[in-house]
Amino acid sequence: MGDEHELTHRDEWAIQCMQRQLLVLEDEAARAADPRAWLALERHAHSYARHLGTWLAKDRIFPGARAEIHRHAADLAAYEDRARREVADVDPATLDAARAALGIRVAVIGKGGAGKTVITSTLSRLLARTGRKVFAADLDVNPGLAISLGLPPTEAGLPPDAVEEHPGSIYGWQLTGAMRPIDVVEKFAAVAPDGVRFLGLGKIGPSIEGAGPQKTAAKQSVAALVHLLLGIGEADWDVLADLEAGPTTPFERYHAFSDDVVVVVGPAWRSAMTARRLLPMAEDRRVTIVNNRFRDEPDHPGLPARFRIPFDPDLAEAERQGLPPLDACPDSPAIAEISKLAALFAAPPGRRGPTSYQEVPV
Amino acid sequence: MKIAVCGKGGSGKSTISGALARHLARQGHKVVALDCDPNPNLGISLGVPREEVESMKPILNALLDSGHTHKDPKIEAEVLLGRYGVDAPEGIRLVATGKIERPSDACLCCGSHNTTRQFFGELGADDRIVIADLEAGLNDLIWAKPGADDVVLAVTEGSAKSVEIARRACRLAEELGVSRIIGIANRTVSDVDAKRIAEELGVETFTIPEDRAIEDADHLGVAAMDADPSAPAVTAIGELARIITS
Repeated sequence: MGDEHELTHRDEWAIQCMQRQLLVLEDEAARAADPRAWLALERHAHSYARHLGTWLAKDRIFPGARAEIHRHAADLAAYEDRARREVADVDPATLDAARAALGIRVAVIGKGGAGKTVITSTLSRLLARTGRKVFAADLDVNPGLAISLGLPPTEAGLPPDAVEEHPGSIYGWQLTGAMRPIDVVEKFAAVAPDGVRFLGLGKIGPSIEGAGPQKTAAKQSVAALVHLLLGIGEADWDVLADLEAGPTTPFERYHAFSDDVVVVVGPAWRSAMTARRLLPMAEDRRVTIVNNRFRDEPDHPGLPARFRIPFDPDLAEAERQGLPPLDACPDSPAIAEISKLAALFAAPPGRRGPTSYQEVPV
Repeated sequence: MKIAVCGKGGSGKSTISGALARHLARQGHKVVALDCDPNPNLGISLGVPREEVESMKPILNALLDSGHTHKDPKIEAEVLLGRYGVDAPEGIRLVATGKIERPSDACLCCGSHNTTRQFFGELGADDRIVIADLEAGLNDLIWAKPGADDVVLAVTEGSAKSVEIARRACRLAEELGVSRIIGIANRTVSDVDAKRIAEELGVETFTIPEDRAIEDADHLGVAAMDADPSAPAVTAIGELARIITS
């Protein structure tokens, strides 16, 4: 029945997205010269597959492209298999080393006000200080990450050159096809302190004239930024994203690019309730629970924290003034704890501890 | 009267919405509390027991469970309120628009926004007060689309990021034609702080003091109003209720 459905602009856009993904993977396969590159390719194909999960689940989303969506799922799985076969005979020590040299992919989620942005920004800068290439994206339409990184809040959105209008795109806009995602980052991302590269969504305003309320100025670039994050397959880049408060953006799988999910929890009962609701959104990823702003309260039931960032008046003052915590209070206990989180992500994956949320002991 | 409460995540929207609803109800008003957060938790601040808040079925989830689809005729907001609302203390009727429980179970996200729009637009408010606790950020304000007769509360705590979002909310409410926009400087520690926020927001601004009692209640997941009715912040919200209705 899906085959008889008339192909709309949206369907065509979806098909074009999937074709582009295969071109990217084929290009990566052609250039893959070492085990790390194959591991990166396997991961990249898997990220695309995660994202495709949303399209597979919502059968109304692109009704004319259902057959292509299912075929794409198989194509992506084939790339994952091929990458795994390529490294099947590599000795374990070499493979571990390759895995350890792979850039990280981290999404930070939690209730509003939990501390996602402070953690994402500080973590990004600490990683960059050790010489890593770091790209940090703000997936929240309300600016925050720029400020916490130490950039003016205006320096945020994807530039016009990187985004083009497309009648089929979910929000009417998409990433321009001419550039590779990593080129967009290298060319357009703002350079934050410590060399972190940054992009956000730009400003939110009233509806664009004639468009529905969902087509706000900021929403123009949501689809573009999500696809930018998904498109970065480079093995040597760390990619981090600060997600909008609550479950909406994880629900939409804006964090499809990530391998690791950091769930930030405050001491309030509602913050814990939110975190428990968010855990399933981590799906197959490694989960790290971080308690933030705790005084002497125990962990919330069912949410064993890996890190406990203490309540820190110096950090609160930095927030009040809109200063990056890493500059305003570099020696504070809160920064010390976030440094441990950075050390965890700099460690080889095998040493990063518990993996998916199903393994979090209750 | 309809009141839309917006602001950054963690600024105190739900705490204020809940306590404000309770005060208004005590002052003799009929109150409907609308939880527009896809992570619904307004019930906590209203004094609904935690377990009940957890098991509460928001409108969209209930409709989906009953096999209702977007192709079926739209059900009036008033009917939905009667069917899926729950009773909160002081005769308040509480209803949540939608809850996101797992990735991509249906198009709940756009759906809950549409429900927010439908409820905020449709519910009559001649003889009662509707308080909508909106999702964090500004997007939901566009969906709720308050108009000339409505009140917008732009809530912020002292951080620069939170003030910036409240400032944008005020400008957005102005563009939407809202006549009464009240800034809420929440958790203020000093008059200087309150004055700075009022200046940045550029609208009439009401101050709620920092109050450990609110935090303590929040840790337990109970309403501040029940835990410590005489707490300074709770008293201040009572004053806010009088100002809004006067």
